[in-house]
Amino acid sequence: MRPRTTALTLLTLIAVVIGLVGPAQAQSRDETIVYTITSDVDSWDPPNSVQRTAIIFGYQVFNHLAERDLKTMKVGPSLAVSWKPVDETTWEVKLRQNVRFHDGSPFTARDVKATFDRVLDPTKKLTARGNHAKIKSVEVVDDHTVRFKTDGPYPLFAERLTALVMQSEKVIKDKGHDWMQEHPVGTGPYKLVRWNRRQEHLLVRNDDYWGPKPAYKHVRIRIIPDVATQIAELISGGVDIIKAVAPDQMDVIDKSGVARTSTAPILRTAFLQIDQAGRSGKSPFQDVRVRRAANMAVDAEGIIKHVLNGLGDRVATGVNPMAFGFDPSIQPYKQDIAGAKKLLAEAGFPTGLDFRFRTTIGTVEPGVAQTNEAIIADLAKAGLRAQQSFIGESVPYISQVKEGQAGPMFNWSWGYYSIFDADAVLYDVFTCGQVYSYYCNKQLDDLVHAGRSTLDEKKRADIYVKAQKLLRDDAAYLFKWGLRGVWGISNRMDYQAPRDEIDRMYLVTPRKK
Amino acid sequence: MSTLAERPLSAPPDAVTSAPPRGQVLGRRLWRLKWGLASALVLLAIVASAILAPALAPHDPLQVNIRNRLAPPAWMARGDWAHPLGTDQVGRDLFSRIVHGGRVSLVVGISAVLVASAIGVLLGLGAGYFGPRVDWTIMTLVNVMLTFPFVLLALAVIAVLGPSLQNMIVVLGVAGWPIYCRVVRAETRALREREFVLAGQALGMSHVRVVFRQILPNLVSPIVVIATLQVAQVIILESFLSFLGLGIQPPTPAWGNMLGEGRVYMLNSWWIAAFPGLAIFLTTLVINLMGNALRDWLDPHMKL
Amino acid sequence: MRRFLGRQLVQLAVVIVGISMLSFSILHVVGDPVVLFVPEGAPKEEHERFRKLLGLDQPVYVQYWRFASRALQGDFGKSWYGDAPVFNLVLERMPPTIYLTLAGLGVALLIAFPLGTIAALRRHSIVDSLCTMVAVAGQAMPIFWLGIMLIIVFAVHLRLLPASGYGTWQHFLMPAFTLGAFLAPITMRLVRSGLIEVLSTDYVKTARAKGLGERMVVLKHAFRNACIPVITVLGLQFGQLLGGAIVTETVFAWPGVATLTVESIRNQDFPVVQCAVVLLALIIVAVNFIVDLAVGLIDPRIRVSV
Repeated sequence: MRPRTTALTLLTLIAVVIGLVGPAQAQSRDETIVYTITSDVDSWDPPNSVQRTAIIFGYQVFNHLAERDLKTMKVGPSLAVSWKPVDETTWEVKLRQNVRFHDGSPFTARDVKATFDRVLDPTKKLTARGNHAKIKSVEVVDDHTVRFKTDGPYPLFAERLTALVMQSEKVIKDKGHDWMQEHPVGTGPYKLVRWNRRQEHLLVRNDDYWGPKPAYKHVRIRIIPDVATQIAELISGGVDIIKAVAPDQMDVIDKSGVARTSTAPILRTAFLQIDQAGRSGKSPFQDVRVRRAANMAVDAEGIIKHVLNGLGDRVATGVNPMAFGFDPSIQPYKQDIAGAKKLLAEAGFPTGLDFRFRTTIGTVEPGVAQTNEAIIADLAKAGLRAQQSFIGESVPYISQVKEGQAGPMFNWSWGYYSIFDADAVLYDVFTCGQVYSYYCNKQLDDLVHAGRSTLDEKKRADIYVKAQKLLRDDAAYLFKWGLRGVWGISNRMDYQAPRDEIDRMYLVTPRKK
Repeated sequence: MSTLAERPLSAPPDAVTSAPPRGQVLGRRLWRLKWGLASALVLLAIVASAILAPALAPHDPLQVNIRNRLAPPAWMARGDWAHPLGTDQVGRDLFSRIVHGGRVSLVVGISAVLVASAIGVLLGLGAGYFGPRVDWTIMTLVNVMLTFPFVLLALAVIAVLGPSLQNMIVVLGVAGWPIYCRVVRAETRALREREFVLAGQALGMSHVRVVFRQILPNLVSPIVVIATLQVAQVIILESFLSFLGLGIQPPTPAWGNMLGEGRVYMLNSWWIAAFPGLAIFLTTLVINLMGNALRDWLDPHMKL
Repeated sequence: MRRFLGRQLVQLAVVIVGISMLSFSILHVVGDPVVLFVPEGAPKEEHERFRKLLGLDQPVYVQYWRFASRALQGDFGKSWYGDAPVFNLVLERMPPTIYLTLAGLGVALLIAFPLGTIAALRRHSIVDSLCTMVAVAGQAMPIFWLGIMLIIVFAVHLRLLPASGYGTWQHFLMPAFTLGAFLAPITMRLVRSGLIEVLSTDYVKTARAKGLGERMVVLKHAFRNACIPVITVLGLQFGQLLGGAIVTETVFAWPGVATLTVESIRNQDFPVVQCAVVLLALIIVAVNFIVDLAVGLIDPRIRVSV
């Protein structure tokens, strides 16, 4: 009788164990969207996060004063119904009525003021502060009218309103900063139910939402670091939306019959940043000849064609073709191994040189692992021998970049904070002293500042042409391409790749048969 | 008196019980080892191909050709005998990479086992031969080491030292010694009381001489068997660490990192991950078979 | 019995201290942790400042004492990323790992006991060789490879089971089988050799002579005794089993301690690694201790010889 009892005991044990974890999933699959991200957010307080994912999360649970329409790409109303300049340095904003936060309290002008005051307070050190530094103060006129005082004329005022979520005065004052990191209280279409760190987030529809009712009751956001697993999950029906699909995996998804891919050019440029400024210490790359050699070693067009299946737009600098100021007449570097070797020899490296190259997968760049491998191979042909140093998640990666430890070369891409203007990349990623910039050149700084202080579009365009020429000739970074995003979407749903890379779960609808 | 030491002490008892003609016995024993012998031949081929990798590989394993990515094996449609096993995600020749990858696996496997056995045997001899205090200290260390899961220890140390070939060898070597220590200690304790050892001591031989000349030679068989089986274990562990990206770093080919990189392509270009996986499986399989045969040959009653 | 217990306890204490030292050294002795904090090429003063800040200027034994006394209170510091207390982070991830390990053990036993018994009863038959062959092949199979294969077959092609994650009983099937397949070969061999040994002992022969049916002999007499070595070795193998769980977790994105550890290693988040290592090792020690005690109770001979 012994073995049978043993087996029975074991079976019971297993059943009990499984029973313990079983009831975790109560929501019905038909009413749930399962969305995937590769690495978890550091907080649920979007103004305090450096991550793209936190911005996306913000869109589900909070609202902004203004929001971009994905079809027209124009900025339209959201929590603000209208805005107009009162004089050169004052904007008046009318707020939407009858909006309530998730905790039941009404949304009023006082919340807008509290939100901006918190972000603008330099002692709070919130990441979002830089985006709104032009605003000097916020005044409450009445319950649903706010006035913004700005530091000089501020043409990007409405654009920037799409970049800050509205939080509740009560929460900011009573609960405080630390509490807000894990407890988002917004006015948005979904509410956070549960956050299991580095595992998943569960959202439920906000039935008191002021806007159109989202089609799905639940959103589960799963953290799956591994791309292969993400694709396997999409095909086996475990998740519904994945992004940054490598172009050479698109056929797997499209042939599966249960999911499809959707692509869109996105406002994001990819490049390998080179430590020209010497932030991580002295390096051979501070010599322009070495940087040019690196640019000349890489067959970027070949990589776009063969590795990305054409899903990329070659650019000469970091300025994206969709951004204001882009100049298509500036020629990108062409592959020239002999020329690159010659330049290296002139720079004092006739036998080439070894250096560290940092990469991560925690990005939205499709096929980044493969393109990096191809680039490394190309660089090696010219004698630039890169040693890959790989960091698995975006938070530590970004913090290394910000702290100036990422040199002499690292993988980077820039999403412009969804502002369709050359300034949104040039200022943050190319001027001296910016946390994400490893380039420092007085001439460029002057151009960028000139571009910021005029409203004349013609003048600005000319300035940005000069800036792009300069960056190209100085080989500031190793320039790659403008990205096209690839999403994988379950056939249960209708959804389109968003051009600003911000997934909006409330736009997902069941597919009509 | 010292001639006693020459007699193999761990001679299998059943070899003495019956006495058919010697040649017939040998033949029968060899026949029982047919699987072991066959696997030894396969292993020999694997080792030879690893040693001769530069001559055998049709291409440079690092030669990227993005215009010829994901080419299937030669026997499939669109295949080409220029790349017998096809190409990987950046157009490198898979066959060349596998042959070169074998070098990494075998070098790591064998070096780590050498390190482990050297440490383990020395400590085991010390623990078994010297007094209870040395024994207690060493065995406590062994218990601590055995408590740590091999994988976890390797992961933790790699985390600090950073991934590289040398670090892998050190880590896997240092993590693998306790098993030798346990076996050698047990055997040494048994041998210590034997006549020839006592006699050697009485004759005034130094401890070192007694240990290395009289005790160690009797322990060769179990050590060889453990070492053989451990090579397979280390190869699997190395490939796992590389699979996770914590072992041999790309672009250097190793079976583990090839499998890890190829995993994404399992659904459309299965060969990138399948062949490295097969290489790991085949190599560890023949090593295990050989180790088992070796155990049967040397000492069928060995409990390992 | 009391002396046996006492000796076991002393050894337990020593092993725990050893583990704490080993994991302490992960961060403090093997490498220079300051390098991880300070940007490359930073001036020497910056290094010194961090050294002071982290308390690394003090003698090693003082540092160890501080680490150990904090660890005793469950304080392993904060994660270097995300600011959460490490102890909670690791503890949260412990249940999935334990469930997986138990489920894997269950599967291994379910495979190993019947096969091992058949192999032992029909020694040198085709069934026996077949079982041995499967066992040898199973041992050579890298389990991460097996896991990937299962995902492709059962999740992607057949769409029967979830490809990754945690939550329902379906999520358990593939990981538990993968882990079970890892442990089954060695367990099967133990069962087989244990049974063979017991079947040739005098009292089994006596039982047979008494005219008991072969079935009764095996089930009633042989099995109980064959179980002892299996339990002992399984206790010792528990560390191996957890090691296997680490591998399995990473393949199936199982939200256990192992995936957390691997993630933390990739991010160089050492406090998490340290805490995970200590807690896992403690579990193994506890299991070994209980197994030792249990076997000591069942079989008095062991009390003396250990």
